[in-house]
Amino acid sequence: MRYLAILISFIILISAPFFGQVDMQLTNIFDFSSSDAIVFWDIRFPRVVLAFFVGGILALGGLVFQTIFRNPMSTPFTLGVASGATLFTAIAIVLGLMQFISIFAFIGAIVTVATLFVIASRLKGTSTASLLLVGIALSFFYSACLMVMFFISDLHDSYEIVRFTMGSLDVVGFDSVAIITVVAIGLLVLILSYKYELKLLLTSHEFAILKGLDLKKTNYILLLSVSIAVGVAVSITGPIGFIGLIVPHILKLIYKKSAEKLIVPIFFYGGVFLVFCDLIARNLGTVSDIPIGVVTSFLGAPFFIYLIMRQKRGI
Amino acid sequence: MLKLDNYSNYILDDISLSVKGQNLIILGSNGCGKTTLAKAISGLLDNSKLDTKLVNYIPTKLDIFDSFLSVKEFLDLSCLYGKRTIDEVCEILDISDLKEKNAKTLSSGESQLVLLASAILHSAKYTILDEPTSNLDPQKVKRVFRLLKDDTILNYKVIITHNLDLAYKLGFDVTYIKDGKIDFSGTGQEFFAQDNLDKYFDKSVKNIDGNIVVSI
Repeated sequence: MRYLAILISFIILISAPFFGQVDMQLTNIFDFSSSDAIVFWDIRFPRVVLAFFVGGILALGGLVFQTIFRNPMSTPFTLGVASGATLFTAIAIVLGLMQFISIFAFIGAIVTVATLFVIASRLKGTSTASLLLVGIALSFFYSACLMVMFFISDLHDSYEIVRFTMGSLDVVGFDSVAIITVVAIGLLVLILSYKYELKLLLTSHEFAILKGLDLKKTNYILLLSVSIAVGVAVSITGPIGFIGLIVPHILKLIYKKSAEKLIVPIFFYGGVFLVFCDLIARNLGTVSDIPIGVVTSFLGAPFFIYLIMRQKRGI
Repeated sequence: MLKLDNYSNYILDDISLSVKGQNLIILGSNGCGKTTLAKAISGLLDNSKLDTKLVNYIPTKLDIFDSFLSVKEFLDLSCLYGKRTIDEVCEILDISDLKEKNAKTLSSGESQLVLLASAILHSAKYTILDEPTSNLDPQKVKRVFRLLKDDTILNYKVIITHNLDLAYKLGFDVTYIKDGKIDFSGTGQEFFAQDNLDKYFDKSVKNIDGNIVVSI
């Protein structure tokens, strides 16, 4: 069953660049003077790579946030990190600083994490549910700010912001793909090197501290690195929600193993899931591509609900 | 040595306590600050890195976040300084059949035994046990009593309990907490003398032929 899943995943990954709105001749792919080769190598291939690594980052980010906050609902999105990145991107668009979009998104993510840290340090002894509520409140606050941005921006900027908030994997060339690849692999390696610490966090904070874990330092490093990676991902693709929430849970429900053993599968299937959703978004035959966030939620939500209902126990 | 100097917080009121090379029983009514005292003296309330070799704290309830972490994996994380293997410790506590279960699905009694196994595998110099027998059936209380009495299982112990007979028969020194303050500190013999019991338990606890009996 697992091998079949891996096989299907590889078939999806390898075949993904061959499908799209432009039909191409397979034989032309290596004829670099043809337009088919340009579509394949400059548009579709980088897009698939981008989708894979962004999916990996979002899924892994969800796993880390769920583990650290000991809450199955917390992800960089529910805690406002992605909304922060989105708001700051909108600010960059309104200010006409399109070339600094990535830096703004990145700052938005970091500002949010810093705010969460300051608030968390004042929530002594209370449960992480309070912090989750703070994150949700923060998301609403950012949404309100985003509305203000819409209000003060002109029609063209508003359209840019709307397109951005829907999430999109449109890329041309390899610049942003190279960045996301480095960031994603860096994050994966870092999280893998924190496997033991994550395993301790799967018990309780108290137990982890009693076994010698420097809880503050570990939380700081993990949350910051995930936020940086998510900030970079959001700056390139816009906010693509839901993957970080459901992919870790789906894999836990299927593998029935503790989370620290699922780091690589969650990264891999997070990537495959986004590539698959993008494949559908690109091939529905509509005038333009359906926003990727629509497809992830449309496919992910029913499957997720089905898995939860099949469970005998809660997550 | 575990030590608190004039320590105060939201419940504890100017407590000074040191535990040096001895076993100790902490008694006191519900909500008087026993668990807070135990966490304070183990360093858990400082939010900093702990000396795992010196101290371990075992809570009453097993708290696990991940639904699929097995008992064996949980115990793996506890293996620090103890000389016994997981299999040996499970054998001693008669919980070998629990090893493959998910730690989160255990009953409260089972999880209390798993916590005790974790304490033995960790083997800190001082182990603070917070009501280690509160969810156990009488046979298991007896088994745990023998393990707590045996100094080769755990080194020094600080035990919080409401089981007065267990506390008496362990024969450790006793500290009694009342309203966040230390109200009594002395040997077990002194504390469990009838006059003293009358003073602390409203004449409802009797020392009859070497057994501590609670009349309801």
